[in-house]
Amino acid sequence: MFRTMGVTFNVYGADEGSERIFPFDPIPRIIAVPVWAELEAGLIQRARALNAFVADIYAEAQIVRDGIIPRDLIVGSQQFRHPATGIQRPGGIYITVAGIDLVRGADGRFHVLEDNVRTPSGVSYVIENRRIMTRLMPELIRGLRVSSVENYPAYLLAALREIAPSGIDDPTVALLTPGPFNSAFFEHVFLSQQMGVELVEGRDLVCVDHKLYMKTVHGLRRIDVLYRRIDDDFLDPVVFRLDSMLGVAGLTAVLRAGNATLANAIGTGVADDKGVYAYTPAMIRYYLGESALLPIVETHLLRDPDVRQRVLLDLDRYVVKPTGASGGYGVVIGPHATDEELAQARRRIEAAPANFIAQPPFPLSVHPTLTGGSVDGKPAMAPRHVDLRPFVLLGAKPRVLAGGLTRVALREGSLIVNSLQGGGSKDTWVLEE
Amino acid sequence: MLRRIAGSLFWAARYLERAQWRARLVDVNYHLLLEVPPRDADPWEPLVRITAEQDLFAAKHSHAEEASVIDFFVFDRENRSSIRSCIETVRANLSPLRHLISSELWVAVNRLYLEVQGWSAQALAAAGVSNFFAELNRHFFTLEGIVVNTIARDLTYDVIELGAMLERPDNVSRLLDVKYHYLLPRLEDIGGPADLRQWAAVLRSASAFEAFRRCYGNAIRVNRVVSILVFDPEFPRSMRFCIERAAEALERISAWDASSAASAAACAELLAMLREGDADRALNSGLHEFLIDAERRCAQLADHVFDRYMALE
Repeated sequence: MFRTMGVTFNVYGADEGSERIFPFDPIPRIIAVPVWAELEAGLIQRARALNAFVADIYAEAQIVRDGIIPRDLIVGSQQFRHPATGIQRPGGIYITVAGIDLVRGADGRFHVLEDNVRTPSGVSYVIENRRIMTRLMPELIRGLRVSSVENYPAYLLAALREIAPSGIDDPTVALLTPGPFNSAFFEHVFLSQQMGVELVEGRDLVCVDHKLYMKTVHGLRRIDVLYRRIDDDFLDPVVFRLDSMLGVAGLTAVLRAGNATLANAIGTGVADDKGVYAYTPAMIRYYLGESALLPIVETHLLRDPDVRQRVLLDLDRYVVKPTGASGGYGVVIGPHATDEELAQARRRIEAAPANFIAQPPFPLSVHPTLTGGSVDGKPAMAPRHVDLRPFVLLGAKPRVLAGGLTRVALREGSLIVNSLQGGGSKDTWVLEE
Repeated sequence: MLRRIAGSLFWAARYLERAQWRARLVDVNYHLLLEVPPRDADPWEPLVRITAEQDLFAAKHSHAEEASVIDFFVFDRENRSSIRSCIETVRANLSPLRHLISSELWVAVNRLYLEVQGWSAQALAAAGVSNFFAELNRHFFTLEGIVVNTIARDLTYDVIELGAMLERPDNVSRLLDVKYHYLLPRLEDIGGPADLRQWAAVLRSASAFEAFRRCYGNAIRVNRVVSILVFDPEFPRSMRFCIERAAEALERISAWDASSAASAAACAELLAMLREGDADRALNSGLHEFLIDAERRCAQLADHVFDRYMALE
């Protein structure tokens, strides 16, 4: 098993089409408790500040009034959702689930690479990876006292129930999926099953008298908390995209009436905008009165003419990212780009400078990984680049999954950890003391 | 349970049942023809007529003969009720519901599906018609056994049961009708050796041969065949037996529902027709008409049930 490229496992079960072999490297990444304790505090701090930011932006926008973050950065953000303004949230929680991507720098410190506070995915791989590892090396995991990840669905369900509209004793939670053709459908099935909640599609839902229901064999059944895994744009054709078949008409009105809670809230994406990212240390100071425990990567906003001029002079030394996009779309890596690509990037920046940021290339840390080859009849191991996505849950109290998803770029020298582009994953072990 | 999911399960159960009976239908006709001399009437034509799919068939084939009918009933993806289409529908419906059914059921459905992907007229010819259908039948019995033994007796099971038990009588009825149509041109043959062989084949095709023997001994008579396949309260493939089971499942499904009157009434009527009727009367007043009426009521009941408990709009 170890002679080949680690273990592959079949996420969907044996069938054509939706079958997905997810490359898995059996050499675990280990995070010592003192390091993890610091990380955990930093992650909670960050999630709380991002949550406070979203709450503020869709209410008084005090942070803008106080001149900490420029107004046009917010309203110009592709993730700002005007219809979310004024919707009250139980407990003030807007971001129930946050996936915060971390990378380790040359100094050994974890830096925040980006925040994912819309519909972050990947947690099912964390749990599946651990299940495989406990089969492969049960004694080791037990002996080393590796922190469990099995409790995540219970944590998530607790956090979701905690944000139900007040006065409901036993809230009904449902998970909204775009359906079987979505790439994360496996995770939607997995989580709904583990939490014991209904997995619904938009066509299963109906809004009547500003209340949200699902259509069951036994009639309409009220939903109190909807954990959605579809984008804002598709949630409610009355308010957002008219052509959306994935959501349910009238949902926004239900939320506004306070008769159901959506997690994450509409418009949380404004907090993971890459332009806003540059202001996160200031945000943490502003809302929490603390300095940021986790550093961010040096970021230049190209909307500033002086900054832009400086960056454009040395464009081949920067990584340029569009502010509203995610998943690596539209990123230009200066040191690897051709002259033509750089010229094109320059034109795009000059046409709409507010839509771009520039960062110096960040050297990802490496971790021993099986290469699939062999040396002297033994499996060969080599350093490969990794990142880490921990998951933070906000409810009545914050909860953090011990560890997170370690993604690894399986190709030599590659910095791309995305599973669709030759990336794989590792189990992440936080060792209890 | 969500209505959408109930609908998916319901139709999966119906298509699985339909696939099984399409196989039985083609198989019985094939075997009826083995021993019978060629005649003027086209012996494959009633098969197409009986399933009410003659328009689609006519659009694709000029003539109903063994090859074209087998292609249409077994392989044709454009025919929603071909065995291949049925199995593909079953799999497509169950695929997103894997977490609700047993993994054994999913694996067995998927195995059958993968086999269907390799089907061709050549493969069927190579296996031989008998072997091909015998193998297929083994799959269906396996699936039925898995459903009975791995699905908890809750709403999931009731919905599957309801789908299967509303689909089956329709197919039993069509199977009987094939023989009926087949005989029409030669009324003088009734009761002759060929006739008896054919009724025996119908019984075998409905897995009723041994049950019939135990009930009635060796003497095959039309009224007894009709009796066991339509009115018998104990034989699990009789139309009455199926509707009794469907009625029980429906009662459990609709227990909460104060306004379940339409489907309950439709079910009660159909059940009364099967409980109170008998073979001699049905034959005297016209078996074909009786069967058509039962099929129509069955379809109406299924529509009622679907609209009331599963349709999304």
